[in-house]
Amino acid sequence: MRDRRLMRSLRTAFGVRRSPLRRAASWLDENLGGGSKLLREELRHIFPDSWAFFLGEIALYCFILLVVTGIYLALFFHASQAMVVYHGSYQPLVGVPMSDAYSSVLDLSLDVRAGLLARQVHHWAALVFVAALMIHLLRMFFTGAYRRPRRINWVIGLSLLLLVGFNGLMGYSLPDDLLSGTGLRIAYSITESIPFLGPTMASLMFGGQFPTSGIIARIYPVHIFLLPAGIAGLLGLHLGMLWLQRHTEFPGPGRDDRTIIGTPMVPAYALRTTGYLMLVAGVLTAFGGLLQINPVWLYGPYTPWDSTTSAQPDWYMGWLEGAVRMMPAWDIQIGSFLLPAVFWPAVVLPGLIFTPLFLWPWLDGIALRDHGFHNVLTLPAERPGRAAIGAGFVTFLSVLLVAGGDDVFASAFGLSLPVLLRTLQGLFFVAPPLVALFTYLVFRRRSQRWPATGR
Amino acid sequence: MAGLEVADGDAVSGPETGTHGAPPVPGGGSPPPARGGGSPPGWPAAIGLLATVVGAVGFVVAFVTNAGTAWLGGSLAAALLGLGAALAYWGRDLAGDEVISGPYPVPHDDAPGAAALGGDLEQSLHVITRRRLLSKFLVFGAVVFALSQAVILGALGPWPGRSLFVTAWRPGRRLVTIDGEPVTRDVLAAGGTLVAFPEGHTDAANSQIGLFHFFGGEFKPQPGRETWSPEGFVAYSRICTHVGCAVAQYMDEVQMLACPCHQSTFDLLDGARPVSGPAGRPLPQLPLAIDSDGYLVAQSDFTEAVGPGFWDAG
Repeated sequence: MRDRRLMRSLRTAFGVRRSPLRRAASWLDENLGGGSKLLREELRHIFPDSWAFFLGEIALYCFILLVVTGIYLALFFHASQAMVVYHGSYQPLVGVPMSDAYSSVLDLSLDVRAGLLARQVHHWAALVFVAALMIHLLRMFFTGAYRRPRRINWVIGLSLLLLVGFNGLMGYSLPDDLLSGTGLRIAYSITESIPFLGPTMASLMFGGQFPTSGIIARIYPVHIFLLPAGIAGLLGLHLGMLWLQRHTEFPGPGRDDRTIIGTPMVPAYALRTTGYLMLVAGVLTAFGGLLQINPVWLYGPYTPWDSTTSAQPDWYMGWLEGAVRMMPAWDIQIGSFLLPAVFWPAVVLPGLIFTPLFLWPWLDGIALRDHGFHNVLTLPAERPGRAAIGAGFVTFLSVLLVAGGDDVFASAFGLSLPVLLRTLQGLFFVAPPLVALFTYLVFRRRSQRWPATGR
Repeated sequence: MAGLEVADGDAVSGPETGTHGAPPVPGGGSPPPARGGGSPPGWPAAIGLLATVVGAVGFVVAFVTNAGTAWLGGSLAAALLGLGAALAYWGRDLAGDEVISGPYPVPHDDAPGAAALGGDLEQSLHVITRRRLLSKFLVFGAVVFALSQAVILGALGPWPGRSLFVTAWRPGRRLVTIDGEPVTRDVLAAGGTLVAFPEGHTDAANSQIGLFHFFGGEFKPQPGRETWSPEGFVAYSRICTHVGCAVAQYMDEVQMLACPCHQSTFDLLDGARPVSGPAGRPLPQLPLAIDSDGYLVAQSDFTEAVGPGFWDAG
């Protein structure tokens, strides 16, 4: 203490100024109402170190990249379906009447500098975003990270997945190319299939009967403002709760539900994660620069009288597409009313999938009679039942995903489409329980070698 | 957040990167790596930063010279990857590997903080609930207000009403091509097909039809539709009864019409009955006639709703 006081007097006496960081700290303390003590503690916030925590970070960094590239795209996109005649640099479409929206996407792709790069990075980032969220979710599931006290954050994470997937669908619809419009047509028809309310809901959503002239202008603020604001808000909540509760940690020596071990945020963790942000951005930029995606100029403008073979949604909607393709043609007549078959795979099935997912932390607690607090994760083999359900669920979604591209697979592998479809319909029922049973048996044998723990 | 006690005393430093993944034991450990000597080399980070500089300059050059997307993306990616690798290496290997431990915020059932908060909230709520009747009226008023706002939804679009059952086809209205050319019996030879619209309504998506001219005797009309297909001309709605894509794939060797979206297939010779795929209902048929000048015209509108199914369409 005396040394420090001596140093200060010496500094004052010789006119030596304090270092810029020390001055910045004083300035911060002054402006935070004396919050430097809290800030100092938070700079030492403990982050357990594991590759698994990188999955959520990838998702976060995709979101950042989507916002950055999205702003650039928004500078050039016209959310208007007014008819124009194309006069850009893509020769095959010169003179073709099309919507202003589609024309502006052609322009920003082919005539705006770095426009195509921004669009392709944006698209790749969206695809990787959803993939990262799903793998992150699976990691949470298989390691029991959703248990008390993190049940609400599981719900927030799932809501994020829904919002992100839905916003991806909105983005897919905006360019107003043939695939966009076909996707919107299908979305309209699915909404229409809801008993009693469907036609009214579809009309309110689209502003009339499909095709409507204002749907692009309506989707645009949803895609660039409403849903991103919701995603940003939920992300803030998700990370805020994570910050307060801290990360879970994998089991290991010295780790228990009361003690967290890891590296402090500053400097090592902060340096690493900033590096990871740049690496994710770099990989996606390389994708966007070198791997073509969604070449909308090849599809042509949307018209209600055109449609194309091998039309595919973005991969994360593939499971829904597969369910729609696999559903038998069972339109049900109820007196003078009609219940279209598409209602079951497109409206009921997503509800059947997401409702138990949302309730999972509570269902798991009831099933295992475990409502205690857990900060230490379990390994998949320690909970064979949970691992079995997870593996069965992944198998179920995989069958749906393959069915979503049945025509592409059939022509690529020279299979008969009806036979492939029948096989997938069989696998839909048979594969998930089989995989679940297999997983259970394998993991139960392994878990018997595991020492009993309180986790 | 103030609950976090930073365990400075427990701080340990792993010797180097090798300890990552292997959980360290708090309280143990070795001193932080000294500069030089056994500390990791700096050149990997330097290479990354060099890539950043080269990539950044390359991006500017590519942008100014309007080079292709691959050059723009490649240079930008090199810059980002170099910077990311340098930072990650720095954080992983150069910053040392300080490992600290601290307590999780494990709540107790009788945590004093939560109890105090609960008591405060109870007291605050009591300000409202002690006026029993008035507080119920407050809830009622708030609910009525919230529900009243649902009326705004009405501005979003028209109520569908009967519009789903109506297209632009009217008795006597001519068939025209997408370019507005009227369709006569001579335009379409037997075995041919074209897409047609009601005259003056070539933008009416729901009115689009596929017109087929079958050879004599090839087409057997459905019962009750004997007069709908004069001289082998047959018209079906071109909107799939599954989820509404244009049923655009004509397979002339089997006289089937298929939807590219979900592979529903309709038998044109059998009233456009769905024979495979997820569509559950036939494509509606438009009653046709040929007027005295040889023009193909509609006898009436469709007799059922076109397109995908909905509740009232039964």
